[in-house]
Amino acid sequence: MSGLALQNVVKEFGSFRAVNNVDLNVPHGTFVCMLGPSGCGKTTLLRMIAGLDLPTGGAIRLDGDDITHVPTHKRNLGMVFQSLALFPHLTVGENIAYPLRIRGAAKEDQKKRVDELLSMIHLTGYADRPVAKLSGGQRQRVAIARALAISPKLFLLDEPLSALDAKLREAMQVELRQLQQKLGITTIVVTHDQREAMTMADTVVVMNGGEIRQAASPIEIYRRPADSFVADFIGQTNLLEVQADSTGRVEVLGQPIAGLALPAGASKGTLSVRPEDVHLTAPGAGALTGKVTFVRDLGGTIETFVDIAGRQIVAVSTPRARPDVTVGQEVGIALTPDVCVVLKK
Amino acid sequence: MRREPPQTLGDYAPLLFPAAMLTIFFVVPFGTMIAVSFFQRQQGGFYTPAFVFDNYARFLSAFFGGVLGFSLLLAITVAICCVVLALPFTYMLTRMARKVQVVWLVALLSILSLSEVIIGFAWSTLFSRTAGITNILVALGIMSEAKALTPSFGAVLTGMVYQAFPYTVLVLFPALVRLDPTLTEAARTLGASPLKAFFTVVVPALRNTITATLIMVFIFALGSYLLPQLLGRPQHWTLSVLITDQAIYQSNMPFAAAMAVFLVLVTLGLVALTVIAGRKGEAA
Amino acid sequence: MITTSIKRRTLLGAGLAGASMLAMPSVLRAQDKSLKVGVYGGYFKTSFDKNIFPEFTKATGIAVESIAEPTGEAWLVQLEQAARAGQAPADVSMMSQVAMLKGQSTDLWTPIDMAKIKNSSNLLDRFVNKYPDGRIAGIGAVSWYITLVTNTDVYKEAPTSWSAFWDPANADKLGLLALVSNSFLLEVTAKTFLGGTNALDTEEGLLKAFEKLAEVKPNVRLWYRDEAQFEQSLKSGEIPMGQYYHDVTGLAAADGNPVRSTFPKEGGIQDSGCWALSRASQKSEEAHIFIDYMCQPSIQATLSRKVGTSPTVKREVTDLTDKEFAAVSSDIEPIVPRYDLYQSKSDWLNQKWTELIVG
Repeated sequence: MSGLALQNVVKEFGSFRAVNNVDLNVPHGTFVCMLGPSGCGKTTLLRMIAGLDLPTGGAIRLDGDDITHVPTHKRNLGMVFQSLALFPHLTVGENIAYPLRIRGAAKEDQKKRVDELLSMIHLTGYADRPVAKLSGGQRQRVAIARALAISPKLFLLDEPLSALDAKLREAMQVELRQLQQKLGITTIVVTHDQREAMTMADTVVVMNGGEIRQAASPIEIYRRPADSFVADFIGQTNLLEVQADSTGRVEVLGQPIAGLALPAGASKGTLSVRPEDVHLTAPGAGALTGKVTFVRDLGGTIETFVDIAGRQIVAVSTPRARPDVTVGQEVGIALTPDVCVVLKK
Repeated sequence: MRREPPQTLGDYAPLLFPAAMLTIFFVVPFGTMIAVSFFQRQQGGFYTPAFVFDNYARFLSAFFGGVLGFSLLLAITVAICCVVLALPFTYMLTRMARKVQVVWLVALLSILSLSEVIIGFAWSTLFSRTAGITNILVALGIMSEAKALTPSFGAVLTGMVYQAFPYTVLVLFPALVRLDPTLTEAARTLGASPLKAFFTVVVPALRNTITATLIMVFIFALGSYLLPQLLGRPQHWTLSVLITDQAIYQSNMPFAAAMAVFLVLVTLGLVALTVIAGRKGEAA
Repeated sequence: MITTSIKRRTLLGAGLAGASMLAMPSVLRAQDKSLKVGVYGGYFKTSFDKNIFPEFTKATGIAVESIAEPTGEAWLVQLEQAARAGQAPADVSMMSQVAMLKGQSTDLWTPIDMAKIKNSSNLLDRFVNKYPDGRIAGIGAVSWYITLVTNTDVYKEAPTSWSAFWDPANADKLGLLALVSNSFLLEVTAKTFLGGTNALDTEEGLLKAFEKLAEVKPNVRLWYRDEAQFEQSLKSGEIPMGQYYHDVTGLAAADGNPVRSTFPKEGGIQDSGCWALSRASQKSEEAHIFIDYMCQPSIQATLSRKVGTSPTVKREVTDLTDKEFAAVSSDIEPIVPRYDLYQSKSDWLNQKWTELIVG
């Protein structure tokens, strides 16, 4: 199989299990974002792929070959660190040429490749500058160019954009994605920023507690979250407890919702409804009724907070569909089965 | 907060203490030494204030030139050996667990507490024929007969490197701790073996620290006068030994002072050369 | 030289050295008459304070304040400078032979009136230090021998001559003192090969001695300044032959160490110190009484027994047994160092010597 495969990978630090039985297939040319809160094991997983940490159990395969115990420097990969780790004693050109020099490439070939890469990252003519003289974004690009100098099989990035300011970060996200598509290189990015993941990834891997909670396309993750952790971690959502009575009729906050079913045999569950899917109606017209407690008008979107039997539900609408409500007013809430996701318990 | 240039005399007050210390502990003794180096030696232990160059003239001979050359060479060799040994050692030490680091550092500090005399006697015993390490080699069947390894140049070098090693580690340690560990990891992901990463990244990134450490150990080693006597033959005696002879045993203060002044000047010259060379290397 | 003795005695005196270096006044018992006596710091001062001074005070009623002399020639410099100001930090001082000569050049020493030294007839001639014009500058205080020492495990037979140092069979086996002025090896060379220390009168003779001495170099394993290092190596057999102090070697042998001290047929090297009276001292009377007291055969015998020094008086006037005498001295005519050379030619000798052993 071409691409990267993680099989039952385990990493223990003493009695602490940082990565727990991870299975993942990354087909060749895919852009994968590993997403999760800090301490979820995503960085450890990336370091094991790079060979900087050794797994306690399981195997890592690249294009069918077991590389679990291949030392880092023989894996032919490119990696960008959170600190960037540019070599302070080398110039921009020398930094980018480092992997070529280490492999004994001829001087002319090194220079040619460095020029190519500099033009790719829009820093033509910067070869002789010391890295200390570059701006944050420029350093970022140099780190990327250095990692790509040998056209690696695998491109790994650990929180690569976290040091940049918000605007530059968004621009770099787009640039990075376009670069990856142009080169067709298998790429794995570790991030805690879900926006970043949604922007760049073919596949988003959501991790928590050392385990993969869901690995799917960004839209799938958003639309069909596997569990309440994923639903809550990716975007905003309303999580509601649901119960099925003996006839199989499903109730939300004591009110039945037609056409909704729980998985066979389950009598309880959690429902995820994205705020943009919550429609306000006249009192009594929707499935549920509640009272408006707050309206947040952000210009581009309007968030309405509704209290139903002590539970708060958020509805998001665009200015065009602006609901005509005020705080304290009774409103109805329409819930249709197609916008409700019943989560695994 | 803005830094203003000092306006009144009072603003210079914080400089007074270090300036006074420098004057009392460096300028005055060194000035006295320079003055004495020009005094007239009275054969038999006295000297009279004068301004003569006899003491320097006596020093400028092939014999003392040879001793000076040997002293400098020995100090340079000790400095290089110490840094070559201490750099990888300290690098590995900084990557160990905190507890292990503490144990090692305490052990090194305890070596520092040993006097030169104790170190000299310990090594001359270890290198002796009757009680030395060659007896272990004989017992292991590696050597056929125990032999004395002292007095010899190797013994002097070993003793001095042993003595200067803890200083070297303690000077290198903070710089190596501060070194970003992802630099070597980055080098490894870029195709460098750990050994190559050490030489292509750690060593060049610490170039200034290494130069400073070399200079420090060099100067430290230059002052050594007991170990060359305890572990070496007379041809391994440093200029410091001869200075001591003149000052203590011959009561020839002017000549001892002249030699010491000369040694200090040569040392300063060498250090300046090193620094200038380092600057040039950086500019290139 | 002073240094030699102090180093050696300091070592023996071990822990007491530090305290006595502070020149603390000793017991002052008799109030009316007193005398300040300078003694080499460390072992000597400790021994004299314990064994000699209290008895002296008891016998004469003169209280003694003993003063520890510092190392090197510093004491001579201090006495000289104090005398110019009319002060005497000590009335009587124990001085090395070279310091005696240097003091003579500035008339620092009050001439001793031999008529008041009733016991002077007991003295060996070489222990009367004279000005060039015949006045008496000082009287021998203590003396000791440096002899040929060997490790008995390595050398079953004791060597009989200093020429053993030159024997090619002894390559890399010798431990010798590192300074021209404390090893007295030029004198040994002259006595052994050049017909006596008079051969050193001329520069030519000195150069000849240096040349002969250069042949010893391949045999020398250690040129020592630190006595402990050589003593240890001698005991262990690491360095089985050399020159060392006769009495200390005897003590080590008595402790069961395989070492022996031999007086070669050319004689042991006899170094010594003198009592000398500063010209600034007001206590000439007491000083003469003290020096006379110290010249008594019984006191010299006590020194031999308690301090380990060789008597400055003729053997037959002492009550030392053969064994006691052999522990500190010998009837063989000693090699007496050419102290005059170390005053007049010290820098030249030092330079030649350093070039010889370092070059």
